[in-house]
Amino acid sequence: MKQLHHLIGSLARALLLVLLVMIGSTLLVRLAPGYLSDAREMDAHYGNTVRAELSQEGARSHSVPEMLVREAGGWLRGDAGVSRQFGVPVRKLIGPRLAVTGGLLLRSLLLGWALALCAALMTSLRRQSGIVWQAPATLLLAVPTAAMATLCLLAGGGGPVLVMSLLVAARDFKFLCRILRQAWLEPHLLQARAQGIRMGRLLAAHVAPAIAGQLGALAGLSLVTALSALVPVEVLFDVPGLGQLAWNAAMNRDLPVLLAITLLMALAVTSSSMLSGQPGEWESA
Amino acid sequence: MLMGRVVAGILLAALATTCATNCAAQAASRLSGELAWTIGYDPKTFDPAKVDDLDSETVRYLTGGVLLRFNRLTQTVEPRLAESWSVSPDGKTITFRLRAGLKFSDGSALTARDAAWSIRRVLLPATAAPVADEFVVPAGVRVDTPDTATVIVHLPQRVIGIGKVFDEIAIEPADRPTEGRVTSGPFFVAEYQRSQYVRLRKNPYYGLRDAGGATLPRASGVLLDIVENPEQQIRLLQRGDADLIDRLPPDYYELLRQKAPGTVRDLGPSLNTEQIWFNQTPSSPLPAWEKAWFQNQAFRVAVSQAIHRDDLARVVYLGHATPAYSFISPANSAWYNRALIAPHSDTGAAHAGLLRAGFRMQGANLVDAAGHPVKFSILTNAGNDARLKMATLIQQDLAAVGMQVNVVTLDFPALIERLMHTQDYEACLLGLENVDADPNEMANVWLSSSPNHQWNPSEKTPATAWEAEIDKEMNLQATSQKNAERKAAVDRVQQIVADEEPFIYLVYPNALVAISPRLEGAQPAVIEPGLWWNAEDLRLRGTR
Amino acid sequence: MKIRLLPLTLLAALVLGASAMVALPGASYAHQDREQPLAGATLRHPAGTDALGRDRLVRVSASLLLSLAGALAASAFTTGTAAAVGALAAFAPRGVAWLVMLVCDAFLALPWLFLLMMVRSALPLQASPAHSAAITFLVLAALGWPACARAVYRGGLGMKRAEWVLQARASGLRGSQMIRQVLPNLLPLLLPQFLVCVPAFVIAEANLGALGLGIGEPLPSWGGMLLELDNSALLFRTQWVYFPVALLILVLLLLEAIPVEA
Repeated sequence: MKQLHHLIGSLARALLLVLLVMIGSTLLVRLAPGYLSDAREMDAHYGNTVRAELSQEGARSHSVPEMLVREAGGWLRGDAGVSRQFGVPVRKLIGPRLAVTGGLLLRSLLLGWALALCAALMTSLRRQSGIVWQAPATLLLAVPTAAMATLCLLAGGGGPVLVMSLLVAARDFKFLCRILRQAWLEPHLLQARAQGIRMGRLLAAHVAPAIAGQLGALAGLSLVTALSALVPVEVLFDVPGLGQLAWNAAMNRDLPVLLAITLLMALAVTSSSMLSGQPGEWESA
Repeated sequence: MLMGRVVAGILLAALATTCATNCAAQAASRLSGELAWTIGYDPKTFDPAKVDDLDSETVRYLTGGVLLRFNRLTQTVEPRLAESWSVSPDGKTITFRLRAGLKFSDGSALTARDAAWSIRRVLLPATAAPVADEFVVPAGVRVDTPDTATVIVHLPQRVIGIGKVFDEIAIEPADRPTEGRVTSGPFFVAEYQRSQYVRLRKNPYYGLRDAGGATLPRASGVLLDIVENPEQQIRLLQRGDADLIDRLPPDYYELLRQKAPGTVRDLGPSLNTEQIWFNQTPSSPLPAWEKAWFQNQAFRVAVSQAIHRDDLARVVYLGHATPAYSFISPANSAWYNRALIAPHSDTGAAHAGLLRAGFRMQGANLVDAAGHPVKFSILTNAGNDARLKMATLIQQDLAAVGMQVNVVTLDFPALIERLMHTQDYEACLLGLENVDADPNEMANVWLSSSPNHQWNPSEKTPATAWEAEIDKEMNLQATSQKNAERKAAVDRVQQIVADEEPFIYLVYPNALVAISPRLEGAQPAVIEPGLWWNAEDLRLRGTR
Repeated sequence: MKIRLLPLTLLAALVLGASAMVALPGASYAHQDREQPLAGATLRHPAGTDALGRDRLVRVSASLLLSLAGALAASAFTTGTAAAVGALAAFAPRGVAWLVMLVCDAFLALPWLFLLMMVRSALPLQASPAHSAAITFLVLAALGWPACARAVYRGGLGMKRAEWVLQARASGLRGSQMIRQVLPNLLPLLLPQFLVCVPAFVIAEANLGALGLGIGEPLPSWGGMLLELDNSALLFRTQWVYFPVALLILVLLLLEAIPVEA
């Protein structure tokens, strides 16, 4: 029964979130400068046609509540609208890209986590925190994504998965290192190590449960990192995913596409935090 | 420690597998005999009549069969699908005779009916084709087909350069527009993967031959990769996955010149200009004293004299640009005014001119007669490295005469909103691309009633005497039938612009291109599309 | 939390050195030596010049002071806000926590790019580069906290079940006093967050230049110098372009070495 309550509560939360995000995004996009402007207005050939189109659009999107009602109505009918840039239904644009981005995210997160865990385990076991061991992660955080992309292109190897996983790994490493170090200093673990119990057993039976809660929180944080790194990585490597679509939509003020993508992002963040929070909540049940 | 070794092993294995994925290769694999180059964005439409952006225009140029083609090298109009054409003496009747045996890419015959249908479709208001505006009064145009090989177009009034307009009208099968899938041009659209590539295949029924008798097009197809990142474009060229790069930035030009010397070419000044202008709109939200500065001719002339154009060309474009004083580039030899007298770089003269105009120095800063310090901002678009550098150099040049300049970069939509809708800006640094050598194409910038009359758009009546004179001369060149008269009118406009400096021209950037050594038949021209205007003749070495 | 003196003094020395570089008579971060763009190391320009002929050493020193001050302040603000919000949500009644976390999630999903454009259009065009830099860091600080707040909330929730917290609550400690006891235990989450934010804000400030915010010319921007690394043509012409990123790594390592956790 409590699970049912919980489920209904989560659904209600998701719906409320969707509503908030819709209103917020529409307000932001419509009120930002340049909604009814296009670079082609300065073109001798195309200026007149573009101006005519834009003034028609201006008449339609005059007030924000009107636009909101139209978009919300469309969503309720199951129709996500038509892209302002391309004139194709939003669902057709997003469908193929969802798979690409999903795959990229999954692979980068898995690889990033693997790298971060290995590196953090190695460094947290050392007696002193050598600052030199922090250097690789610091280097990865200090170099902008664009520079990393260019270095990959120059080296002729690596790609979006490598860059994103390195970014995620670098961030996670900083957190994991400290969390693990604190965990190793627990009295029962110190004694276990002194007694010579094998590392694998220690990790599985004692360390993992102790840090599980914090790992869950960290997972949510790293998903947010990955999502924010997604846009520059996809744009720089020309990956046909949602990040590239989002960037183009933002630059061209394509509201229907932007709405769809921000809603997807909101749902991704919420579901990840709900999933990572479940064990804790079940414990207290 | 075993643990350490195991962990290290996992790390290395993970890194190795990821490095092995060469995700830099986003380009599709090329078929044999296929040309390849890159476009920046997805084409917005494949319907040739509705093209209104650069990349759709690329696809239309390559796929659309046209009655007349504008030879970008000789700058003359040549018949293409039409065997011959003629214009009546009053300029109101154009007669085309089609070649015999023309076919579409699906094998169906091309007759005058298809040509007439395509032209009429372009003129329909429902299609909203941008090229319809070129006919001045599209509603009054009538198209007749007395027989299956003749098309007669009746215009309500004479249009200058009507031949070039037909370069943009693609002939499609009557009553069944196919959005590029069935065309009468050298290629047709075979495959389109959104955000990845557009693949064009050779039209097997394109009956034209070149001078040597070989069937056109020479290549088996064209692969247009959709790649925005200039780093990627360079990689593709170096790996042989692209044959051409158009509009190479100067620093990449130098890089390629060192790495692959035979591939890059500097074609000399292009037709494009980079310029800076002040907001002279009376109804703008600027304070009155700023409007007074910008509307003052002596102020603008002084700014023009204070700018060191040689430094701009040398430092920003690495020498691949020419200082500019007029809207017509020296590459446009037919219309360039060699006798132009324009204010050249001279900081002392600039200073003297400002003092004469009522400004004075207060310490290191310039103030106007009422004591307001001369401070303004220069807007330019974000993402353009060259313009930001030019603005920074100009910032220092103007500081030498005491003006304090702020450089602001904005993204394009926000910039256009300020320029064209709210007029909330002080000075702007942008470039103008001239796709045509004929000054009539630039008329929308010079006519004072036009919304593209950047410094004071959509004037009801010309605000100054010199703007009225520019209107008069531009109208004269639009209607005159004598070349000498037109040239004199355009020369006069260039001189007025150099005297009044509504646009302060900075440089003409050179046309920098890269052509793979495997490509044969390339004849780069300065008019767009300069590198592949003769796409039918291009072929890869080693293919027949 | 103790402080190690050696990294602190090294960092202070770096800052003093940079200030000295900038304050030297004749040193200017804006003056363009147009005859020597992208020059190598010479006597007059010990670290070479940039693409417009400006001395790189003076520019990097000035940008160190400017960007570091801004990024440190913004990171501190962000981490502090995240800590406050997360801890508040953890120890507040369930309804409040639910609402706060909902707002956090909504915050994370919204396209703040457009808010930044609106901020730019609200700023007068003549806002000085320093003014616009301050506004940029302020906006970055205001937008960066939700990501960490949720992690702090989870950490706080976990801590709620710890024995010492239960005892404290049983002894009658009020909510506000609880927070003061809890926060130091959240340091393993907050400290790395702070250290991760510093370079992120330095780079983000440069990326905001594309929207008209960020540090305007002629003031040097550290993030801008880092972004130059994406141009392979530049990488081939001079090795000195790596100087800003090397300095950033050094500063970050020093910052990390300062606090000693128990």
